Amino acid sequence: MTVLHRKLIRDLLGSIGMLLSVVIIIAIGTGSFIGMASAQRILEASRAAYYREYRFADFWVDVKKAPISALDRIARLSGVAVLDNRVVFDVILNLEGQVRPLAGRLISTPAGRFDRTLNGIHLVRGSGFSDDRNEEVILSEAFARAHHLRIGDRIELILNRKRESFTIVGTAISPEYVYMVRGPGDLIPDPVHFGVLYVKDSYAREVLDFKDACNQIVGSLAPGARGDMDVLLGRIDRALSSYGVLEITPRQRQASHRFLSDEITGLAVTATIMPAIFLGVAALVLNILMIRMAQRQRTTIGTLKALGYSDRSVMVHFLSFGLVVGIVGGLAGAALGTLLAYVMIEMYAEFFQFPRFVFRAYPDLLLIGMAISVAFAVAGTARGVWEVLKLRPAEAMREKPPERGGAIFLERFPRLWHVMGFRTHIALRTVFRNRTRTLTAVIATALSTAIIFMSMATYDAFLYLVDYQFDKVAHSDVDIGLRDEKSVLALFESRALPGVDYAEPLLGLRCDLRHGRNARRMTIIGLSSRHRLITPLRADGKPVQIPGEGLVLSRKLAELLGVRLGDSLELTPVRGRRETSRVRVASIVETFLGMDCYADVRYLSRIVGESLAVNSVQLAVSAPQVPVLYEAIKELPNAQGLSVRTDAKDIIETTLVETSLFSIGVMVLFAGMIAFGSTVNNALIEIGDRIREISTLRVLGYRPGQIAGILFRESMLTFMAGLALACPLGYGMLHLIAAAYDSELYRMPVVIRPIVVLYTFVLVALFVLLAQWIVLLQIRKLDWLQGMKVKE
Amino acid sequence: MPPMTAFNTAAVLRLERATRIFRMGEIDVPALVEADLTIAAGEFLTVVGPSGSGKSTLLNLVGGSDRPTSGRIWHGDCDLSSLSDNDLTEYRRAIVGFIFQFYNLVPTLTALENVQVATELVDNPLDPGEALDVVGLADRAGHFPAQLSGGEQQRAAIARALAKRPQLLLADEPTGALDLPAARKVLATLQRLNRSQQLTVILITHNPAIANVAGRVVRLASGRIVESRVNDNPIAAETVAW
Repeated sequence: MTVLHRKLIRDLLGSIGMLLSVVIIIAIGTGSFIGMASAQRILEASRAAYYREYRFADFWVDVKKAPISALDRIARLSGVAVLDNRVVFDVILNLEGQVRPLAGRLISTPAGRFDRTLNGIHLVRGSGFSDDRNEEVILSEAFARAHHLRIGDRIELILNRKRESFTIVGTAISPEYVYMVRGPGDLIPDPVHFGVLYVKDSYAREVLDFKDACNQIVGSLAPGARGDMDVLLGRIDRALSSYGVLEITPRQRQASHRFLSDEITGLAVTATIMPAIFLGVAALVLNILMIRMAQRQRTTIGTLKALGYSDRSVMVHFLSFGLVVGIVGGLAGAALGTLLAYVMIEMYAEFFQFPRFVFRAYPDLLLIGMAISVAFAVAGTARGVWEVLKLRPAEAMREKPPERGGAIFLERFPRLWHVMGFRTHIALRTVFRNRTRTLTAVIATALSTAIIFMSMATYDAFLYLVDYQFDKVAHSDVDIGLRDEKSVLALFESRALPGVDYAEPLLGLRCDLRHGRNARRMTIIGLSSRHRLITPLRADGKPVQIPGEGLVLSRKLAELLGVRLGDSLELTPVRGRRETSRVRVASIVETFLGMDCYADVRYLSRIVGESLAVNSVQLAVSAPQVPVLYEAIKELPNAQGLSVRTDAKDIIETTLVETSLFSIGVMVLFAGMIAFGSTVNNALIEIGDRIREISTLRVLGYRPGQIAGILFRESMLTFMAGLALACPLGYGMLHLIAAAYDSELYRMPVVIRPIVVLYTFVLVALFVLLAQWIVLLQIRKLDWLQGMKVKE
Repeated sequence: MPPMTAFNTAAVLRLERATRIFRMGEIDVPALVEADLTIAAGEFLTVVGPSGSGKSTLLNLVGGSDRPTSGRIWHGDCDLSSLSDNDLTEYRRAIVGFIFQFYNLVPTLTALENVQVATELVDNPLDPGEALDVVGLADRAGHFPAQLSGGEQQRAAIARALAKRPQLLLADEPTGALDLPAARKVLATLQRLNRSQQLTVILITHNPAIANVAGRVVRLASGRIVESRVNDNPIAAETVAW
């Protein structure tokens, strides 16, 4: 080891505090990059493996009821590789000891080779169906776990108006329900209130009157047929139209797949933006620090050159400084990133159920992270050293001439200037004279603040969404889906249920909406003219009364169809006479979950030409009566779906609180550390530059706190400027995030409540104050008698 | 790069109308103006003059740390003013030993290690411990600059300069920051090295009391050489007083 190496090590140890702040910033930048990018790749690889091994389908076709014989024609269509059919029904199930009936989705599945079909299921517990018994069920694992159900326990279902008791023979997960939601409109899996039930195929068809018939067809595409998916699905639609095609779902629109894909895409975006911001700030801070470090070694550089060291060897020596910082930062980042990836996957595992995660280290990510880290550190150092190296040794050995002096613009207002004390004067002059350093601090503060604001505002946006969807738009306490479409009589029956204060029918009409080349199959919800339990709201928050004619569309649906208020579109029901009529867009409303389309029920009946059936009823129930109502619903032969407003609301709120608090916590911590690191760094540079000034003030009798006050004033000036810049920045970021998450499944409302802004400012202020405390400690520690001797 | 033998070991330093002008923003500041000076090998020379008279500029020019704006500086038959940056580095490395007013020791290295900074540069250096011994600091080898007195720091700096076995020892106000007893020790060390090792020493100072420790005194004023006087009876460093 040469003497210069020893010097390097001692210099590194000597400025460990400052370097640590830089290492932390670099580690956060590279760590967030490595962590998020790894998590994204792990999710992607796990998904690919799962889909492949369990033959995740390419499309789903829901029909009212189709004979199996009708499927031969479809199976022969070019592009279709494998075609399966099954029976899928939403059911109500009862668990012993539970007052509340639960919602389930029954899926018929082959008894023996359920893992070999399309959308094969992966058995987690139990042994699967026995050969001789029929009343057996395999439950989704999350649901079983949520209710502590064990193999051998029994559950009760209402099937085809009859109560049937089933024995649990296994628990399973499936690629169809990686994210276990009922469909669009659900935001977060609710394994307590919704489970998937796999029942023996032969038995399900028998009990449900589907002998030699099915109501769902799933298929996979032949290799190379993916490009012609739309054409193929169009053919299938026409081939089956006489059986009432309720829904055709290509894989891209399948709810679980869509949520998972959105998450992976979102993560890819975040994995680029966040680390880029963190690393950008790290580069700026590092640059400032390294330039200062090199400048502080100006005399040493001059001396080394005078002794005969070449520019190259001096450069190499100082670059190793940056190299060490870069490598340490990169290594810390790799460790942090690996940990972050692991924690993120653990968190994802709560929502996305995979048989296993394909955990892998990604050496290329580690290398890229390391390279970025080293490049930033070395580039910062090189610039600093070069500033000094380009001087001749004789110049370099002289101390740097004093900084450009002169008055700053505020001094042109003597009245104002003289009101301020001399410590404010010093702070102001420093801030305005060291423009690059000030700018860096302002940018660091602004970005940190914006990131913290964005994290908190996103969280707040979801709280707003919940409040909007489940309090402002929806008012019914319990919705019951009905198995067979019923006349309005059903409404009167439901009014007679115990505990019901008020009931309203929902009349769903499945139809195609078409505008030019854009088409969507939607359920138009028919509301009575005096509906109260749903109040769609316009973007300005005003409630919309369903007009006597025309449709009311969600903004997202209107965008997808390319229609505006007053435009007209074609409406074709999927069943009955299937005649196309032209209807007008009477109103556009704002929804954040799924997509809705409303119309007056009489208007709908008129354009379809028949009186419509009731699909579900909405009930207003007074809270104490709810258990009584639950018991009554269990006895309802006709009920098949059940959703309870407060449950949906609660699950989103609790899940949001649990998961968001973690991710917000991480973001706030990361961003806070950046603000903290940058502030500490600036202040330490300031202290180093002004040892003599500070020492002189100490000799004169100033207390450390009073001197720290000067640095505090400087920090506050940059802090304020940072906050000012953070406002538009955070607002912009929030809009970007909202745009990124603007999907058919859900949209993020952009709302900014003053309390969020306040919280953000307080949080950032806390980090900056923490930094000030470190500064105060440094000033207390400063050997000011020695400081006096430092040569100018 | 010329081989180091090209620097004639017995060479004389020669300045020919050497001029150095510094550009400070809009104005030119002449630091040294048309200086003519010849220095013989083994000579002990003091350069005196008030602050800003061009002493340090002259020293930096002959030390290869700076280049003249015009005129030439010869070391033997080698024209320093025409050398590339790399060759100047070689020149400083092989020929020159520098001593600075504020010692310029690396604060994070011990006295011994500071000498090693120089010895690692050349092929046949003095043993660093020996170099410290020559300046009477053998027992302080493991101390960091902050643990040494000013005089000790300056002697460590002399050891560092010496350890490269330079031909030319250039000292810029080496006693400027020292008290009298420490200054005497430093000057005595320089006198001893000049006499015993035939080392050419150029010492600059603004302190007239020191001027007469050398065999020749050059006086500068406003960037011009105003006097070059041979001093036949150099005074012993121990008798210097101010």
